[in-house]
Amino acid sequence: MAVVRYLAFRIVNALIILFLVLLITAVMMNEYVEDQIRTDIRERAYQEIYRNPQYAQWTEEQKQRAVQERIKFYERQYGLDQPYYVRVLYRTVDAMMFNFGNAMVLKSAGGSPVVSDIILEALPRTILLFTTGTIITIVIGILLGIKAATKVGSLLDRTISTFAMFTYSLPMWWVGMIFIFYFSYTLGIFPSGGMVSIPPPEEPMAYALDVLYHLALPLIVFVFVNFGGWSYATRSIVLNVLTEDFVNTARAKGVPERKILYGHVLRTASPPIVTSTTLAILGSIGGAIITEAVFNWPGIGRLFYQAILNGDMPVVIGLTYISTFLYVFAILALDFAYALLDPRIKVGVGGGR
Amino acid sequence: MGIKDIVSEFLRFKSGLIGVFLLLIIVGMAIAAPVISDEEAGYRWYDIEWWTEKNIPKGVPPEWIGIIEGREYASTTEFTYTIPSRDGFRFTFNISYDMTADVPPSDIILYINVSKAEGAADEEYIVIMSIYRPDGTKIDRVLDLTTAAPLAKITISTDDRARSTIVTFMKKYDPENFEDITSRGLLEVIDIVKILFSEAQEDVLLEKAPPLKGEYKFEITLFRRSTNVTFNEAKLVVLGSAYGIFGTDSFGRDIFVGIIWGARIALVLGLVVAIVSVLIGVVYGTVSAYVGGWTDEVLQRIQEFAISIPLLPLLLILAYTFKPTIWNLILLLIVFSWPGPVKTIRSMALQIREQLYITAAKAVGASTSRIVLRYILPQILPYTFALVAFAVPGAILTEAGVSFLLGAQGTLEITWGRILSDAERKSAVLTGMWWWVLPPGLMIAISGLAFVLIGTALDRVLNPRLLR
Repeated sequence: MAVVRYLAFRIVNALIILFLVLLITAVMMNEYVEDQIRTDIRERAYQEIYRNPQYAQWTEEQKQRAVQERIKFYERQYGLDQPYYVRVLYRTVDAMMFNFGNAMVLKSAGGSPVVSDIILEALPRTILLFTTGTIITIVIGILLGIKAATKVGSLLDRTISTFAMFTYSLPMWWVGMIFIFYFSYTLGIFPSGGMVSIPPPEEPMAYALDVLYHLALPLIVFVFVNFGGWSYATRSIVLNVLTEDFVNTARAKGVPERKILYGHVLRTASPPIVTSTTLAILGSIGGAIITEAVFNWPGIGRLFYQAILNGDMPVVIGLTYISTFLYVFAILALDFAYALLDPRIKVGVGGGR
Repeated sequence: MGIKDIVSEFLRFKSGLIGVFLLLIIVGMAIAAPVISDEEAGYRWYDIEWWTEKNIPKGVPPEWIGIIEGREYASTTEFTYTIPSRDGFRFTFNISYDMTADVPPSDIILYINVSKAEGAADEEYIVIMSIYRPDGTKIDRVLDLTTAAPLAKITISTDDRARSTIVTFMKKYDPENFEDITSRGLLEVIDIVKILFSEAQEDVLLEKAPPLKGEYKFEITLFRRSTNVTFNEAKLVVLGSAYGIFGTDSFGRDIFVGIIWGARIALVLGLVVAIVSVLIGVVYGTVSAYVGGWTDEVLQRIQEFAISIPLLPLLLILAYTFKPTIWNLILLLIVFSWPGPVKTIRSMALQIREQLYITAAKAVGASTSRIVLRYILPQILPYTFALVAFAVPGAILTEAGVSFLLGAQGTLEITWGRILSDAERKSAVLTGMWWWVLPPGLMIAISGLAFVLIGTALDRVLNPRLLR
């Protein structure tokens, strides 16, 4: 029962966070969005009255009055006659239901102006690049980290630590620029950006290969910048566990070193590693705005950048929502996992005591 | 552990010392910026006119590149000719330039300084320049123009007449490429100064001919219509093909100047954001832990909310809504960074809260604020040094990212991110101007590295579990 109460509490908590982030975005975007809607309404009302042969005999004054009526009608329909706070709340709730409306400028490849369509088109591309990259990074990072932890002070260990510190503050997008400079323009091995050649190959197989070819360089950059940090973090966690008493006990008992590492140490070290892995994989879906912009990769990040540049606020709201949603969802998923696995989790108010 | 112990312990770590050393270099750059470079340069970074006046070659690599490549790069040379005052309307004189470099000069600028009698301000004069090349050929009337300016400034690379004359001259040596380039409408893109200093042979229009070394003679002829105009001085500036420590960007700005002035912003921004946000986080986490109960619950929910806000998107949105200054940006970064250390600090404070001396303080009636400020915070404060050090690179990276994306919409200070943004917008990567892209990024990385090294060493000093 306590677990259920705890989880219910966490869900409500997550929803409140989502609502508040969206509310802030909606407040800031409100003016842009409403200006756009008003322009749209005006245009539509004029078209309805002036383009309709039915009203052709009307005098100019009659038409003007009719237009004003239509505008009023639509404003009511869009809730623009409501007070400010109602409009903002209305927009927030709308966004929470994944109803982002139409984009102002941007369109999907199929020509659809619906924000969800545009986002859904870009999302898989970001997942392809960043989620793949994250998984590769984590696998390499964890393996190297364990290796380094078992050989503290060795050349491998020191190299990894130094490399991790150097890449910690390396801007991924800048590394991207340098790699493009060297591998694309100097050596000519990889394409300099984009996701497919122009024009794209027609055959599905050739198309897939072409995408892989374009994927390679950004993927290399991603792994290069990130795996050092992962190795270092894994190393620290495993090292911490290695000093625990039960490891000494196991050694004293004569348990083989391999078994100690994989049976005892890794089992204890895994929760924090699982946590970061989950967060990283879910976080990767949000992409990286600048890196996608540098590589001209048509995913979520570049979409966000374009939306900002074009002042396309419905898209901005949609993307902000998606990225916050993913983050909150990830935390929630972890809470669930721990609540189910660890009976010690305390519930509710004052749980931290 | 007192501050003294921390310092003496810290000094035992080589990596920490390297970090301090790197940091000192960057601090030195930042402090010395107005001394090493022209002080005005720091305030006029975005004033392209001002930079153009300085006659710095545009888009050229650093000077030391010549030593590495084993090639000689042309350096900037100025020739001044004082025109003897006399009667007559036609003045002809020669200026010789000995071209010895393997990489020819990047541009030629001709200044003519005249003074005019009163009431003759509009009176025009004619400037003609022909060039005798070392191979005995002559390019006739590279310049031929009429002007009324008291100080005429003629830049060969942007002068239409010079372009067509030089291309036409080279056309007879390279007819096929001429056809091809013309049909593709790329005549405007040819680097005419480069081909002016090249051997007249095949592929010269593709800029592939070797440089032609030797003496170039610039024959300048000036005409006046009356004695109302007096020619004073002619100055010919041959702009070099390499410049300074880090080269120049395609606006003719000295990248070294940008780097050292950028260090100021990066350090101030990084340190202010890190110190303020960690302090807020520490106080917040301590209060949350010590007071406990519902207060703790509410404070924790607020922290979770604050940490869930996607940083970069919101920063971009805000930056587009309000024109960002560097202080706005610092404020925003603090608003988004303070939740970071809260959880760690809270769990530390929870442990300290259970100590006997806190109970004792409570028993003698110490107030909450006194216990938090005098008994708990001093215990936690040393650990925050490491947190501050780790927070600095994040702030610098975020600023660089925002400046990179916003470009001209961003702050008006010189930042490394903005330099990279300009480079990206001017396709520095595509055109091979590595000296424009490498230094700012390396500076971001090195300043980050300095703080990470310091932070790691501090962490080891303050966190004995990691000592081994």
